[in-house]
Amino acid sequence: MATKSKIDLSVSFCGVTFRNPFLLSSSPVSNSAEMVERAYEKGWGGVCFKTLNSDRIPIVHPSPRMAPYDYEGSRLVGLQNVEQISDRPLKDNLADFLYLKKKYPDRPIIASIMGFSNEEWGWLAKVAEDHGADMLELNFSCPHMTVEGSGHKVGQAFHLLEKFTATVKKSVKIPVLAKMTPNITDMTEPAIFAKKGGADGISAVNTFRAISGIGLDDLVPKPNVFGVGAMSGYSGPAIKPIALHFIAEMAQCAELDLPLSAMGGVETWVDALEYLLVGATTVQVTTGIIHYGYRIVEDMIEGITDYMASRGITSMADLIGKSLPHLKSTDNFDLKRQGVAQYDLERCVGCGQCFIVCRDAGGQALEWDAEKRRPKVDDDKCLSCMICSFICPVPDMITYAEKPAGWARRHTPIKDPSLTRQVKVAPFPGA
Amino acid sequence: MSNADRFSVMEKGFDLPQAMAEADRCLLCHDPPCSKGCPAETDPGTFIRKLRLRNVTGAIRTIKTNNPLGGACGVLCPTPRLCEKECSATGISSPVQIGKIQRALIEHSWKTGSPVVEKAQSRPEKVAVVGSGPAGLACAAELARQGFAVTVFEERAEPGGVIRYGVPAYRFDADFLKHELAGIESLGVKFVCGTRIEGARGAEKLLSEGFKAVFLAPGLWGAERIPGGEKTKGVFTSVEFLAALRDGGIRELGDRIEGKSVAVIGGGSVAMDCVQSAIKLGAQDAFLIYRRSFSQMPAEEDERVAALRLGAHFLPLSQPVRYVTDSQGRLQGIALVRTRLGAEDSSGRRSPSEIKGSEWTLPVDAAIEAIGNTVDSADWSGAVKVDRKGLILTDARTGKTSAKTVFAGGDIVRGPGLVVEAVQDGKIAARAIREALS
Repeated sequence: MATKSKIDLSVSFCGVTFRNPFLLSSSPVSNSAEMVERAYEKGWGGVCFKTLNSDRIPIVHPSPRMAPYDYEGSRLVGLQNVEQISDRPLKDNLADFLYLKKKYPDRPIIASIMGFSNEEWGWLAKVAEDHGADMLELNFSCPHMTVEGSGHKVGQAFHLLEKFTATVKKSVKIPVLAKMTPNITDMTEPAIFAKKGGADGISAVNTFRAISGIGLDDLVPKPNVFGVGAMSGYSGPAIKPIALHFIAEMAQCAELDLPLSAMGGVETWVDALEYLLVGATTVQVTTGIIHYGYRIVEDMIEGITDYMASRGITSMADLIGKSLPHLKSTDNFDLKRQGVAQYDLERCVGCGQCFIVCRDAGGQALEWDAEKRRPKVDDDKCLSCMICSFICPVPDMITYAEKPAGWARRHTPIKDPSLTRQVKVAPFPGA
Repeated sequence: MSNADRFSVMEKGFDLPQAMAEADRCLLCHDPPCSKGCPAETDPGTFIRKLRLRNVTGAIRTIKTNNPLGGACGVLCPTPRLCEKECSATGISSPVQIGKIQRALIEHSWKTGSPVVEKAQSRPEKVAVVGSGPAGLACAAELARQGFAVTVFEERAEPGGVIRYGVPAYRFDADFLKHELAGIESLGVKFVCGTRIEGARGAEKLLSEGFKAVFLAPGLWGAERIPGGEKTKGVFTSVEFLAALRDGGIRELGDRIEGKSVAVIGGGSVAMDCVQSAIKLGAQDAFLIYRRSFSQMPAEEDERVAALRLGAHFLPLSQPVRYVTDSQGRLQGIALVRTRLGAEDSSGRRSPSEIKGSEWTLPVDAAIEAIGNTVDSADWSGAVKVDRKGLILTDARTGKTSAKTVFAGGDIVRGPGLVVEAVQDGKIAARAIREALS
């Protein structure tokens, strides 16, 4: 067991050192120095400041600007927002940069910027650099922009993305991240264009275009902005699995080979660790803070430190990307090895949900003993889909168990075997 | 299950997934009132938040660091009137069951085993703790964590004090105590059992033996008596009765209770433990005699209800007059009078007065007096100032007694109190001792 004092959470990301990999992402939670300062006091390693604009176009946020997605008893499983980039005057934001750099010189500021023309991208980049930004993040991904050549429209138009990146790179010396939209099929493609433009790293994912719900009385999708809804950015734990795959895919892309800053549904140290394990160097958070406040970073730091201590790991380098060797395409599965769901019926409370799902969505491997109110398992029919274990209310009552070599699952029966004689089909050529 | 077995183990608590599900109801308050409601500053607001954010080890660390007897408190605390009392979730449905979450986390830590509490560098100063009950254990653990060399002196054969010899095992069992003690021992605390530190000379001797400070927490092992009880065969004090349940006397005692008619006198938590224990030992009828009303009983509501559910016959508004004995001094019954409530007394409670001519005799084979614990024969008055009941006088902010580098806490200072209050006494004294020796 590593002693905790030896554990170092710091990371070097595009040549910039962060005391820990946990950053505020560019969003409502990084809107001002007053907010960022409070986050720093809780322990956040740095900030990606809310996207600067050049004051050329006045920014007015729709009202209201967010809507929650709840699931059963859980609140804010997802969050939809139509918030725009910073509505503060550029000077105010830059003055806040100066304040933060003076008071917290060792906490890097990543300035998120968004231009509406090639010149504006370059100008904003320089202004941010001149006021203490340690790094830039190019917002190519805001999902509710309607102007062509802005937001996720850029992220979907790869040549523009490359061009703007190149412009920024020519304007500044600090490292440049390109922030990707997930509203595409393959993220490695635009990321490689960003690399061609000179990007030093990739951050992802911005929010997903979505509709979080519809008002059934007024028929207006949410958030209802005085009678109008709009497809807009969706974030939070609900999108984490999808975001995680985007990060892993980029991390595995040899042609890309850039450091990654990941975000999407991070609330706990476990979420953050998962992003690190698939190759991210830093992790950014917004929706988790919208749900719980800046305080969650205390548990991210303590949780990951204890995890490292328990495994004798002292450096973040020993975590980053360590799951990637185990992440392969599905043709790598060893299909000879098979197993079944195993039931610890001593602990069963008799709800019968397993019976319902196995009958209606599984292999019909269960019978229901109505007298005892317990399932009876027929191993040879179990598909090992494990859905019974996913809905069982008793933790770990149903577990996976491998079967010995040579064990064979019984085929799903035919309802009326006599009908097979009437089936007239020649084998597919070559089958 | 034999009657004796019913004493050996506690009911199962929450497992970790259940604790997490319960923690999901927590509203994660900005200024958690639960944390303000804990006398020992265990800080449930923080450890529940940590659990919610899957920082399980951190949650255990918060409990253990703030309260070395966090497990015992999770089990034994009257949480409905402490941490859970102000729980904001009450405004939605019902308070979060904080005690159960706390217990589950501590039990979970037994499985994971990793030491979660950080220990400061060792210091040369030796400190003696007299008594291994909650106050003594908390003080010892806190000092050991600060690096002091701590020795705990215990009169009885095993450490634990009131949580070993003063509560029945079905409420707090030996296995749970063993784990709590292991946590404290792992900090380097040494236990010397079977050693009574007696009075003024005892404390002075410890100081002369090289201990730089002494913490006195011997507890209250004497008992208030009803006149005549001492010489009546079949009458026990709650102290004798509960200790017998734990120190091997249970089977012998069982013979005097099983199938018999038993009366418990008193209305506090200890009385409820006694009457429930009597029923579990197989008493045919177990009466609870109390001179005031049901609602005036000092026992917690859930304890009273538990005793009723188990089958205790409550006789409130009943005042014992005398024990009725046979020619050999063996108990035959208790003479009782009915009471009625009159005007409020100085404590603000309506006081009972006897109803003339209402005397009757309740036939019983055994009686247990549970009317209050007192100081036993140990007389500290030579070493430290005491009040007229023999309770040690201290400065409430530091636990300092009138004697230099002698501190005190727990029941010997505050009178019969809660485990969690004794823990806080121990913590406060530990802080003061560290300051005094730095």
